[in-house]
Amino acid sequence: MTDADPPTDMVLETTPIDADEQTEEIDPLPLTRVESIGTDIEDNVARVIVGHESVIEHVITALLGRGHVLLDDVPGVGKTMLARSIATSVDCTFRRIQFTPDLLPTDVTGVNVFNQQTREFEFQPGPIFGNIVLGDEINRAPPKTQSALLEAMEEQQVTADGETRSLPSPFTVIATQNAIEPNRTYDLPFAELDRFMKKLHLGYPDPKDEAELLGRTVGTHPIEELESVTDRETLVRARETVSRIEVAAPVRAYVTRLAGYTRENAHIGASPRGTIALLRAAQARAVINGRDYVTPDDVQAEAAVVLSHRVKTNNRTRDGKAIVADALEQVPVDG
Amino acid sequence: MSTDTGSGSATGTSSDRRNARTISLGVTDTASQSRSIGPDMFRILALGCALLLIASFVRVLHEVTQAVGGTPSLFALVVGMLLAGTLLARLIRPRTALLAALTVAGLGFAYYLESSGVGVGIVLSQTGALAADIGTLATGHQLIRTVEAGIWTLGFAPAPVFLTWYLALRGRYALSVLPGGFALLFLVLTGDANLNVTLLGTLAGLGAVGFGELERRGGSISQADLLAVLFALIIVLSLSVSFVPGGDSGPASIGATDAGTLEGTIDSAGERSGFTGQVDLSPEVRFTVESERPSYWRTGVYDRFTGDEWVRTGQEQPLDGPINEPPGDHETMQQLVTAETDIGVMPVAPQPLSVTDGAAQYAEVTSHGQVHPSTTLIEGDSYVAESAIVDPGHGELQQAGTDYPEHVRDRYLQQPEDTSDEFAEYTANVTADAETPYEKAAAIEHHLRTSKSYSLDVDQPSGNVAEEFLFEMDEGYCIYFATTMTQMLRAEEVPTRYVTGYTSGQQVDDTTHVVRGLDAHAWVEVYFPDHGWVAFEPTPSGERDDVHADQLEDAREDGVENVDIEESEDVPVREDDDDEDEQDERDPADPEEEDNNETNGDERDPEPDPDPDPENGNNGTTDGTDPGSDDGSDTGDERSALSLPFTVSRELLALTTVVLIGLAAGIHRTDGRKRLQHLVGLFWQRSTDNPDDDAARAYRRLERLLGRTHRARRPGESARSYVAALRDEVTGDGKGSLDPADDRIETVLESYERAVYGGGVSRQEAAKTIEAVDELAREQLPMGGIGADTGDGDGGGGSGDDSSENGDKSTCDDDDTTHSGN
Repeated sequence: MTDADPPTDMVLETTPIDADEQTEEIDPLPLTRVESIGTDIEDNVARVIVGHESVIEHVITALLGRGHVLLDDVPGVGKTMLARSIATSVDCTFRRIQFTPDLLPTDVTGVNVFNQQTREFEFQPGPIFGNIVLGDEINRAPPKTQSALLEAMEEQQVTADGETRSLPSPFTVIATQNAIEPNRTYDLPFAELDRFMKKLHLGYPDPKDEAELLGRTVGTHPIEELESVTDRETLVRARETVSRIEVAAPVRAYVTRLAGYTRENAHIGASPRGTIALLRAAQARAVINGRDYVTPDDVQAEAAVVLSHRVKTNNRTRDGKAIVADALEQVPVDG
Repeated sequence: MSTDTGSGSATGTSSDRRNARTISLGVTDTASQSRSIGPDMFRILALGCALLLIASFVRVLHEVTQAVGGTPSLFALVVGMLLAGTLLARLIRPRTALLAALTVAGLGFAYYLESSGVGVGIVLSQTGALAADIGTLATGHQLIRTVEAGIWTLGFAPAPVFLTWYLALRGRYALSVLPGGFALLFLVLTGDANLNVTLLGTLAGLGAVGFGELERRGGSISQADLLAVLFALIIVLSLSVSFVPGGDSGPASIGATDAGTLEGTIDSAGERSGFTGQVDLSPEVRFTVESERPSYWRTGVYDRFTGDEWVRTGQEQPLDGPINEPPGDHETMQQLVTAETDIGVMPVAPQPLSVTDGAAQYAEVTSHGQVHPSTTLIEGDSYVAESAIVDPGHGELQQAGTDYPEHVRDRYLQQPEDTSDEFAEYTANVTADAETPYEKAAAIEHHLRTSKSYSLDVDQPSGNVAEEFLFEMDEGYCIYFATTMTQMLRAEEVPTRYVTGYTSGQQVDDTTHVVRGLDAHAWVEVYFPDHGWVAFEPTPSGERDDVHADQLEDAREDGVENVDIEESEDVPVREDDDDEDEQDERDPADPEEEDNNETNGDERDPEPDPDPDPENGNNGTTDGTDPGSDDGSDTGDERSALSLPFTVSRELLALTTVVLIGLAAGIHRTDGRKRLQHLVGLFWQRSTDNPDDDAARAYRRLERLLGRTHRARRPGESARSYVAALRDEVTGDGKGSLDPADDRIETVLESYERAVYGGGVSRQEAAKTIEAVDELAREQLPMGGIGADTGDGDGGGGSGDDSSENGDKSTCDDDDTTHSGN
């Protein structure tokens, strides 16, 4: 069943899409502002999550790069905590969906309910209508339910009873999935996997970090005291800044070569969606590093987490990660 | 010819079809014209090379026919064979072609045997002798010396021409080189093919195989550079062989003589006598002769003139028994010849009849009746020879008639094919009043003696020497006079031959004649029926004697060794002591010389002579010094003053070109140009209009620098991750190696990234980047410290980009030289 917050403070617009509505001009933030926002969120999250700096950075670049994140790990390493602290850091609507085997698609997207008073059907928006949506243990739901996410994640809209409704902006899904108990989970469809910009692994903390973690959480959990450092509108404008970052032809060519390598050396290589995602992530990383252009280093920093889960091999000993690592090593940076 | 093969008719028997397929190898390539220089081009090149190979040995044969006649037949035969090869290339199989070629060769050989009067039967009866003959040819008996050289040539040519061209057209390039190569090899062994032709043929063969291979494997022109390297290598190696001084070998060469002397020229080898330009005279004593009467001492007889050398035809026989006597009345004389140095000739008074038994076993006699030693005579060797003195009176010679024996007509009337009609006309003019052969000979002799003057300092003419001397030259020495007279008489149908040897030498007492190197001479023998060979002397002897006497006097004064033997030491050079008087008398008294000078000044001499002849004459008369040697050296000096201090010959230029081409191809092959550019680019960078390019190139320089001091950048590494990786890898390196943590490197990296991936860099930033790399590069040099200091100073002082750029460049260059100095 849905474990989401009650939709009482529903301020989100859930009306069907009007064609003209989409062309609003967003004013981009200055580069340095975005850079500091990134740093702020990072610092903020680091108050809750001990260690895992690179994962935090990856989640932030995904947030700025308009991507969704899949956290894949054993339970209890802080996946949900990470997602929550990210969401809390940004002052915007946060929704959480706990995926279970009996979850229905409408439980995610929302449903038309007959209002006795107005004697009309009213759309009751599902938990998907949020700025940051945490899909917990996403692989516990059957494919049918998971597919409800497909449209939302790619098109940023949901269709219920034939009516298409736009999702709020920004819209980011941070999903977690359980790597254990494979017989009680459903593998994510490849198409859905492809819609996640990044698939991240947290892993166990360092012994030092873990000790620190234990010290912090003895009293109240720090997440309870976490405050937001930025708001929804700023995030939207920061995203606009990121999307305008220049990607020079050599970098585009390099990304293409990387994808080409995975396609040649794996059963299924990185899709064009994958290369787009890679570029967006690289753009975000460039901004985080205070640059207004993307370098191959940005691409290299993002390639492993962006491309690995999109590459499928028939070879059990060499997974997508290995292929991408090979690609990074062998594909020449300069044509 | 590609159309010929292209239409390849593949009908008929299965074997025909097989052929058609083989041929179509080249055709399909022709059809698929994928690249501009592809198999099609290589096929043309390979065929061209095959043609060149054919041309090389045909050229040798042509040289023979040029001298003895038969050029049109030879060319007709070659063209016919080429046509036959083209036609049959797609009709018959290689085996059939080989059979056909062998048949043709056999027929040619039979024809030769028949026409040289031996008959084909000899093949069966005297197979051994025949094989020996071929052996003789292949061990250096020149083709031109064969009596029926022309016919031999015609018999020899067709088979290799046909086979080579046939196989080349069929695409069997490697195989096609075999017959052509063998033909050429044979001509090399006979000594007919000179270096250039051999080289050409070898290169052509190599080219045919190489290009054929490129065609077959569909190679590209970039692979042809290997061929170019090979070509250059072969050319340079083979030419350098001729620069290495080879030891004189064989009995024919005269000891202690070198090529620059007159002796070296006329007796360069036993069977040939060449020409040179300026020659020296060796004053050393060669031999002494004890003889009742003086005579010219003959050492060689030559009958065939090729235009630029004399060749003796026929082979030597061991001297067993007396030599044929002259037909007419004659006296005989005995002479005792003692070699005073090592000599490779056997001087005898003409016409020798016999040599004493002891020496006879070391002597051979040519078919012209001249004796030769079979080994070099060493100092002290002596022999007694008996000669017939043929000295008929004028009247007898006048009445000798023209009833020449067949063998004399056959051999001694030869003229090079390219002899012009002008030559014959001129000769006819000279001999217009002469009725008998004797009068003709006398007229020509007189004409040459009076119209040309004697000089050892002439430029060697190119082309037919006889014609050149007659028409273009005003002075020359004995070989020019003798050659011209021989050819003029032959033009008048008088059998004549060219003989070489020594003049009688210095008579030191009643019977002793001392003969020196400077007595070397060439003259003419004319055949008179019933009398035999009679000597004529076209060289103006007075002038000659003077020049030679002067040389000897000089040598005596200079104390040159071996100038005299005991007996000759006290004998003055000239019989007439009054040296100056004689000259005074002679020079003005000689009307011909003045004549000559006039014509010279008026029309003959096209090039301005710094030392004109009239002045020459003055020199001789007023100073009274030795006109011959002094004048010679004077002219020599002035000539060299006018021209370059060293002479750049065409050969040297060509060789240099070849070497350069070879080098270029080799560099292309090994990517040397790029390497050089890289090395230079490491330390110096020219700024361009595009600052982004500059920054990018500056980074590449840095990368190469880092590559030299650390490791090269891996393809998967980005610029920044490369440097970062280096930082991680580097563990406390010594002085001189680049520190990846250097701030300047960060600067370069940043502007590189901005130039390539970002919005670009400004001109100033680019200049700064270049400067940073310049500094880093300089610090890598062995003397880096000093260079870097000056570099820093310059960089700081110069405010404008250009000035600092220039300053950096100069210091950079300085460093470079210091570097190379180390």
